[in-house]
Amino acid sequence: MKLQTKINIRFLGVTFLVFSFAGVLFYFALDKVVDQNIREMLESRKAYILLNLQQNTPTSESIESPDHSIFIKRTEKMRQYTVFSDTLAFDQEEKELIPFRKMTFTVHSGGQFYEVILLQSLLESEDLLIVIVSFMVVLFVLVLLALFFLNRWLSNNAWKPFFKSLSVLNNWKIGESQVVSFDRTGISEFDQLNSTLENMMQKIRTDFVNLKEFTENASHEIQTPLAIIKSKLEMVLQDKTLDDQQHQRIRAAFESTIRLSKLNEALLLLSKIENRQFVKTSEIDICALVQSKLDYLEELFSLKQIEVTVRLDNQVVFRMNPLLADILINNLVSNALRHNIENGQFIISCANQELTISNTSQHGEMDGSRLFLRFAKQTTSNESNGLGLAIAYEICKNYHLDLNYSYSDGMHHMKISKKS
Amino acid sequence: MKILVIEDELALCETIVSYLEEEGYRCEQAATVELGSEKVNLYEYDCMLVDIGLPDGSGLLLVKELKKCHPETGIIIISAKNSLDDKISGLDFGADDYLTKPFHLPELNSRIKSLLRRRKFEGKQELVIDKITIQPENKQVLVGGEPLQLTRKEFDLLMFFVSNRGRVLTKESIAEHLWGDFADSADSFDFVYSHIKNLRRKLLERTGTDYFQNVYGTGYTFIA
Repeated sequence: MKLQTKINIRFLGVTFLVFSFAGVLFYFALDKVVDQNIREMLESRKAYILLNLQQNTPTSESIESPDHSIFIKRTEKMRQYTVFSDTLAFDQEEKELIPFRKMTFTVHSGGQFYEVILLQSLLESEDLLIVIVSFMVVLFVLVLLALFFLNRWLSNNAWKPFFKSLSVLNNWKIGESQVVSFDRTGISEFDQLNSTLENMMQKIRTDFVNLKEFTENASHEIQTPLAIIKSKLEMVLQDKTLDDQQHQRIRAAFESTIRLSKLNEALLLLSKIENRQFVKTSEIDICALVQSKLDYLEELFSLKQIEVTVRLDNQVVFRMNPLLADILINNLVSNALRHNIENGQFIISCANQELTISNTSQHGEMDGSRLFLRFAKQTTSNESNGLGLAIAYEICKNYHLDLNYSYSDGMHHMKISKKS
Repeated sequence: MKILVIEDELALCETIVSYLEEEGYRCEQAATVELGSEKVNLYEYDCMLVDIGLPDGSGLLLVKELKKCHPETGIIIISAKNSLDDKISGLDFGADDYLTKPFHLPELNSRIKSLLRRRKFEGKQELVIDKITIQPENKQVLVGGEPLQLTRKEFDLLMFFVSNRGRVLTKESIAEHLWGDFADSADSFDFVYSHIKNLRRKLLERTGTDYFQNVYGTGYTFIA
């Protein structure tokens, strides 16, 4: 949910609650005032009638006013108090029952007790209430709407620099050299955020460059002594006076140097991929890439007499770095070759934006969860440094591709597909 | 043939120089850009081997400088940085070849030979080894005037052996020469074995001489 929407919803929610509460209070207050008013009206009429009755004694048993608002009749009992009550009466004009406020009291006049009933229609006050309340509701809705739009407009304006910074960040690529600078916004919080971001990005870039240099220097520092060892051993191997045993020992040392340098290279490659040092990407036609390797592949497979099946009818295009695409295919193919058996099978196929490489192997099903981990060797083959699949996995991860392992019909399948 | 080796790692430099001197080259050494630049400006060389990471700057500067004053000199970059950018800019500056450390000495030797052949004789020179005549330009091999059919890999292999006659070539260096970066991606030793077997058979059939000698499971030597 967007921050603006969230704020708006809360703001409107609170406003709505306050307004509703205030509305209810207002209604009761208004009701009370109206009620008070009616009481006072009845009280003043009572005073008038008392005065009138004390001066003129009524002649008949009961008297009714022409507008049915005053009833006076003779009574036996004297009541000391005034009673207020609500009643419904039939109104001639409106032709319906309407609410009335009723006041009952007794008066002593000319040696007689009279009970007086005063009625006051509540219709007018009710109409008044309705008018006021509906006016209030309309006002309330209008204010709410106005607040909503005002709030949106204000926050849109206020957050503009934020979204600008956000888009700058989104477009930022660590490998690119141009310096990112944010405009002055005039809002101190955003300026502060922007300058913090600028500093951070600067720092990240320096760290990145340092790391890049470090990995390359580390490579240099390790490869150079290795080159010395390797060349010295190669020189010694030329010595015709060496006996078989000496030869074997030097050869073992020589072989280990080669493995060490390959391991070093693989680790460097991994860290370079992880550091996203391969910035340039292009659309890579995977089938064409495999096709271009077929000559080489056929030669490799022919010695083990592996049956190669190639199904590259459907085009599969991934966006990635060309060098990494090459490494990815090489690693998977050589993996399928290395663990293959004599007269085995190798199937490479493209379909539905997926590349699948399948091979027979001397090993049964592998542990798919450990297969792509570094140094997770599942065989004791000396030629494998256990990094090939980790590199392939890392490359796929880098370009939002899935690399899946499965085992069926005695074959291992490696499938690369776009992440859904 | 004069070769200038610019490499700051003394031990490596000495090995390269002694290996190349055994091959009959005259070598000079320099360990810094400054020294290298001095030599490049003063003398002429047939080939320069230059390391990129030198203590006082990048070897690429020397490549540039050499291209300006002696454009006919062959240049091979040797670097520990296996970075694509370096390779591209090195070759753009006019280097002829690029080798990543740690390389095999026979590989370096073979590349120097092929570079010098291309530079000095425009590829037209014939190599005659015993009964075998090799024409590097059109990748032809003649035995007794008659062409010998070799696959591309077999031809490369023969050139590699011929460039390093009498030396022990390890299976690793042969595999790396034939497949480069792909060498470790396959059971390359089996391939080395099968290619050598084929080449050996073809040469033996036509010349009656077995030029290859197995060396204690280490590799092979070409004797002629």
